[in-house]
Amino acid sequence: MRFALQRLAYAVLVLFLASVVTFFSMRVTPGDVTASIVNVATTPPEVVEKLKEQLGLNLPIWQQYWNYLTGMVTGHLGVSLVTKLPVTTLIANSASYTVILAISAFFVAFGLGVPIGVIAALNRGGWFDRVALAVASFFLAIPNFVLALVAVLVLGLQLRWLPVSGSTSWKNLILPALILAAEPCALTVRVGRTAVLEQLSADYIRTLWARGIRQVRIHWIHVLRNSLSPIISLGSIQVRTLLGYTLIIEVIFRWPGLGTQLVNSILHRDYPVAQALALLLAAVVIISSALTDLVYRWADPRVRLSGSEAA
Amino acid sequence: MASTPRSGMVRINPWILVALAVYAVAGLTGIVVLLSPTMNNRMTDTDLTSTFLHPLSPGHPLGTDSLGRDLMWRLLGGLGVSICVGVGVALISIVLGLALGVFGGFFGRTASFATGLVVDVTWAFPAILLAIVFAGWLGPGLPAVVLALALTGWASFAVIVRGEMLSLRERDFIAAARVLGVSRLKISLTHLLVSLFPVTMVVGVFFVSTSIVAESGLSFLGLGAQPPTPSLGVILAEGRDYLSQSWWPVILAGALLTGLVLLLNALADNVRDRFDPRSRRLQ
Repeated sequence: MRFALQRLAYAVLVLFLASVVTFFSMRVTPGDVTASIVNVATTPPEVVEKLKEQLGLNLPIWQQYWNYLTGMVTGHLGVSLVTKLPVTTLIANSASYTVILAISAFFVAFGLGVPIGVIAALNRGGWFDRVALAVASFFLAIPNFVLALVAVLVLGLQLRWLPVSGSTSWKNLILPALILAAEPCALTVRVGRTAVLEQLSADYIRTLWARGIRQVRIHWIHVLRNSLSPIISLGSIQVRTLLGYTLIIEVIFRWPGLGTQLVNSILHRDYPVAQALALLLAAVVIISSALTDLVYRWADPRVRLSGSEAA
Repeated sequence: MASTPRSGMVRINPWILVALAVYAVAGLTGIVVLLSPTMNNRMTDTDLTSTFLHPLSPGHPLGTDSLGRDLMWRLLGGLGVSICVGVGVALISIVLGLALGVFGGFFGRTASFATGLVVDVTWAFPAILLAIVFAGWLGPGLPAVVLALALTGWASFAVIVRGEMLSLRERDFIAAARVLGVSRLKISLTHLLVSLFPVTMVVGVFFVSTSIVAESGLSFLGLGAQPPTPSLGVILAEGRDYLSQSWWPVILAGALLTGLVLLLNALADNVRDRFDPRSRRLQ
């Protein structure tokens, strides 16, 4: 419990620093925010000043940061400079798309990756093992936007099996989710296989054999449980990678999620939207990493015994 | 990987080295042509009378793109850009990671905590997101990409270095050296550099491969190399718009990129197996 609280406090500290970084990294960008709303060259200076006042840009930078921080905490995220819609509305509209996409990819990656990794390890050196490793190496190497383009070309344009852009039906989800899952899945296969192999040569397996425990039970209960820690810590890194990849996959498939929003807002210098989205993504990563640490302690009693050094 | 000798070092697969050498020669050719003021027009000259030429067309061995530019030269230039970015990012990340890792591992608990905090804040931003912010800040272009990728890449190396430092400090020979009057930092650094060598090799190759992918990804989104600079990402992005008319720019650039990453990953695996007998046993 004490560990959980410490971990939480640490997460809040990291989140606070992340908010400082997002705020200032976007404010020191050359090019005034007002320039993306009005044409500064033709607009009278008084109007530009008035606009700055409305947006709170004439306040000292610390005051601006404070307003931004209190706004974040109370849920007042400001208004998009481009669409004039509240940022909360924009996020609410697109968040569900990203969550659906990321969760589908997550389940595909682990749902396929863990069993394939275990089966490959149990048949070490067999044909399944070799094919699984070769396919995994290929999917680890091909950048997912290249995979996406090839999939669009073959499945979408040539065979016409699946729609290649938009978000109107569940069919639109299949391609982006599978492509997003490809690399994490390949990584899970490799890490899972190595973890299981490591367990298979451990002494306790022989003890279990000697006690007459059935092979299926040894493999899928004892070995799998003990192989979980590397897979779980991989899961935490995956959240970060998946979020990063979601940005590019969403843009390619015109999936109206947070990634598309973020790339558009940065390209249009729509600061309120970009800041809120960047911090939201950072918060997801920070929270998932804290959760991973907690799950890790549950899955691996050795971590628990080693005390709170892990924090 | 299939036939591992029971004793001695794992040999690095010679075919991987040969293939990488071919890539290196092609990339260097691309860099030379790109930098040469008299020859770089081969990569950028447009010719609207001969767009979408198929591979094996006369004068254009790999065909032309939507603006009639020669694809072979553009791919070579793109490869050169990839290699420069990959190697540049790897070097900067390793230097930064080493500096912060040594700082965090040597100067007590507070320094260790501070380094951990900086790493966690860096990690809170998906690498691509942070790179986008940097591109927005410095303006899109290759310098912004290199800087952004290096400033996100160092963190994982710093964590490794810090761990190694922390374990080194506790070792007996450090205590012995201190008794003899040698400064602890000096001893640690010497042993650190020796013991870090293998992991640096692996991480370095890994950095090159991930940075190459990240650069082409950013260029693909329009945040990296700016046209007419050839970059594999730019070629993929331009090819994507004309995918229904001509598939070969996308397939050629994609295959070139995937092949390079596949080779670099295989090299990293080989180097790791060579230095880490434990991972070798599990192959």
